[in-house]
Amino acid sequence: MSLDMGRSTPRFKQCFTSAFHRAVMGLLALCALTGCSPSDPEPTSSGTQLLTKLITAEQYSNSLAYIFGPSIDTQVQFTPIVRNEGLLANSLATAGVSVGQVQTIQGIAATVASQVMDIEQRQYLVACRPESIDGPDEACATQFVSKVGRLLFRRALIDDEIAVFVEQASAAAEELAGEELNGEELDGFYAGLEVVLEGLLIHPEVLFIIESAEPDPSNPEQLRLDGYSLASRLSFFLWNASPDDELLAAAESGELLTRDGIERAVDRMLESPRLVDGMRAFFDDMFVFNEIKTLVKDATIYPGFTTVTALDAQEQTLRTIIDHTLNKDKDYRDLFTSRSTFMSPALAIVYGVPAQPGWASYTFAEDSPRAGLLTQVSFLALTSHPGRSSVTLRGMALREQFLCQTVPQPPPGIDFSVLTNPDANYPTQRQRVAAHLETPSCAGCHRITDPIGLSLEQFDGAGGYRLTENEATIDATGALDGFEFDGAIGLGEALRQNPELPRCLVQRVYSYATGGPPEIEARPTLNYFNEEFAAQGYQLRNLLRTIVLSKAFSLIQNSPSEERLLAAASSD
Amino acid sequence: MPQVWNATKTPQVLSFAFFSTMLAFAGAATAQLPEPHQKDGRIGYVLTERHWAIHETEASTECPQGMNTRGSRDLFAQQFPEDSDVERTVVDTRLMIEAYQYHTNTATTDIYDSLPYYEAQGNVSYGLNLDGEVNADDFMNSAGEEGIDNQLYRALGCIAGYRKDGQYWFFENAFMINNGSNRWMIELSGVDDLVNDDDVTVTTYRGLDNLLTDATGVGFSAGGTQRVDARWGQSFVEEVKGKIVDGVLTTEPIAQAKIPWSQPGVSDGYHIFKDLQFQFKLTSQVAQGLMGGYVDIEQYNHRFRTSWSSHHQNYGQSSSGSEYTALKRLADAYPDPETGANTAISGAVEMTLTQVYIVHPDE
Repeated sequence: MSLDMGRSTPRFKQCFTSAFHRAVMGLLALCALTGCSPSDPEPTSSGTQLLTKLITAEQYSNSLAYIFGPSIDTQVQFTPIVRNEGLLANSLATAGVSVGQVQTIQGIAATVASQVMDIEQRQYLVACRPESIDGPDEACATQFVSKVGRLLFRRALIDDEIAVFVEQASAAAEELAGEELNGEELDGFYAGLEVVLEGLLIHPEVLFIIESAEPDPSNPEQLRLDGYSLASRLSFFLWNASPDDELLAAAESGELLTRDGIERAVDRMLESPRLVDGMRAFFDDMFVFNEIKTLVKDATIYPGFTTVTALDAQEQTLRTIIDHTLNKDKDYRDLFTSRSTFMSPALAIVYGVPAQPGWASYTFAEDSPRAGLLTQVSFLALTSHPGRSSVTLRGMALREQFLCQTVPQPPPGIDFSVLTNPDANYPTQRQRVAAHLETPSCAGCHRITDPIGLSLEQFDGAGGYRLTENEATIDATGALDGFEFDGAIGLGEALRQNPELPRCLVQRVYSYATGGPPEIEARPTLNYFNEEFAAQGYQLRNLLRTIVLSKAFSLIQNSPSEERLLAAASSD
Repeated sequence: MPQVWNATKTPQVLSFAFFSTMLAFAGAATAQLPEPHQKDGRIGYVLTERHWAIHETEASTECPQGMNTRGSRDLFAQQFPEDSDVERTVVDTRLMIEAYQYHTNTATTDIYDSLPYYEAQGNVSYGLNLDGEVNADDFMNSAGEEGIDNQLYRALGCIAGYRKDGQYWFFENAFMINNGSNRWMIELSGVDDLVNDDDVTVTTYRGLDNLLTDATGVGFSAGGTQRVDARWGQSFVEEVKGKIVDGVLTTEPIAQAKIPWSQPGVSDGYHIFKDLQFQFKLTSQVAQGLMGGYVDIEQYNHRFRTSWSSHHQNYGQSSSGSEYTALKRLADAYPDPETGANTAISGAVEMTLTQVYIVHPDE
């Protein structure tokens, strides 16, 4: 969604104009530091679209936890959104908020505001002290609204905005002073602030990440994100939360728009423990873990698989990824062959191994049939039916999630009885799915999915290891894009060698970072990221750095509405 | 008392022949798995169900006179009839009965003497042949094996609380499941073959971890992990030799063993078994069968009285004083050197244990 200057707030116009002038003045200096250098290896890019995105429940919760501390209970759940080209994040720019959702969020906001203004919490969450708690105090309210509003809105509030909120706080303080709630007399000042805070928490500028643009000083015909928007894009991507005070200060001062400034900010963010939150959210999205919450197995067939197992399976994979890519800075591709992981007691039942209480690192033995993420319970169980494994779902998931390929949906009118009816003549999945290949309308797709899934058939629908199915020995030979192998270990190796594996990660990371699937014009940029990723040993942290410091990350496409922005700015 | 290691294959053991054939297939399959439950010749099991071995028939023919009615309410009605017109004190009535329930000793008169006490009748029961002999008061099990020693069943078999779904039957098992103090395990080591192995070692431990229920919510998942309670559980550690024949583990007697049997929030109790033996059908998932031995009566009485309050005993029409007297009367082993009175009674416990990985402190 793009912004129209004509509908923009006065604050937006003011910021836009001053930024434009600053940008022009610094043009020459910046030009030398950024894209004007002939040695810059990054191809020319028109950037991405200017977006207005719905904040996710986790981002909302993480942001409140940063602002008010972890003791504030922020149990938040938003309505699920639709996955688009592999990521839920790609749909946030087209998601809205229904009236029902607003009511839900208001309930959460009221709870949070009430906790913040609780007599104990407010001692340190409201930094100033009113002259009297029984009525309005404009100075203290101004201080609170300015500080909290800046963190919530991800920008400094302008004076007019602050004045409106303080006026509301004062009016509410006078109205509520002495009133009783649940048998207790309200303190007017804090009751007034609570009302205003509740309003701030459901403000559209809090619930939506509204990006804004300004001309790029190195190319005034080109738009780029303004400082605050760049801070938000960085922070929601890398930390899955709104910008912290330091990042906002860098945006405020203009430092973030300098090469040195953004490098300093990015390096700080990449070294922060909060990077784990950001990358967990990204991989959670990429690995389709939103489906874990509804993952159910037939208790009579897989009695050892409970809801705890499912949640632990998700946690195991995320811990494995974070440890591998961020703690150890290892090659991303090795995630699909590595025997190192983490184990919990509930998961250990499915894996058939001992476990210490809680979470502990675990390495599968060299002769174990398990190595890599494809042999983890999360992937195996999510890509199975409640009562049986699925070679097709597994093959399809591998291609779509890890190779960024699209496998078409089955044509209408398919007879699935061949697959689901028990038939003693077809004891194994290999024999049952052979029917796919005998049907011309099915064969085209199943040739690219089933040979993958068949190599994972030694893992049942819950992810448990097995050698037989219906007393018949399982043949786990399979193939992936010209590589033939026997079993899951071979599949992991083949996937690791597949050049599309790192390319797909690059594409997903870039999509996630910028809020939408990359357009065809972005191909040279993606190629550049791929080359850099390879040159840097396929280390995730380096990939993140390359992407967020790229011009493509912060430049904004000049769509017609943004063209009007440029024209309006030039005429001011 | 002579103790004989019963090496003879009993009819009961033979009846497992078919079962063991199935095990052979199962064992062959699991043996091929890279990380089987049976690892390095070791396999562990944790207790997941436990009841005193009480033989019950549908028609309760073992209790032809009915169940005992010796709850405190019954006793009160007997001792203090409402129409007696006698003015009574709390000390002389309620506290007197409480004192009897909780402080009976051999010198105390059984105030229930005027009420009948029904022992289980007949010669069929579950249990093990603890002494290797076939005596007149022994039982025969359902497989036809004679010489079964289970006088505890004779003493308690006609008390409702001990029978299926009675409060002791139910709650003592529920408290075992939910209370970590009762986590009890066996570990077999030196196992070459889970179906036939003439030399294995069985070690008992107390565990530290919760049991893992399966997705049905009522069963338990094999493959969990239990850490050995090496700090407070040393007194529960025993080691004994055993053998596996046709999938059934039997062991030599352990001279004396403590088995945790606590009541959460009430007591940290245990039972003492002398000449304790096991007989379990084994699979890679479950060990199921009997534990038998001579139960120390004083410890039984102490645990019972520190675990079950008057109202609980009353629900089961049970009386610790009467039970104590019955156990002493039917005691069949370990005579007191001075008085000659037996101090222990043969008994058996039905058990189901579920496979777990046992983690030792050094692992």
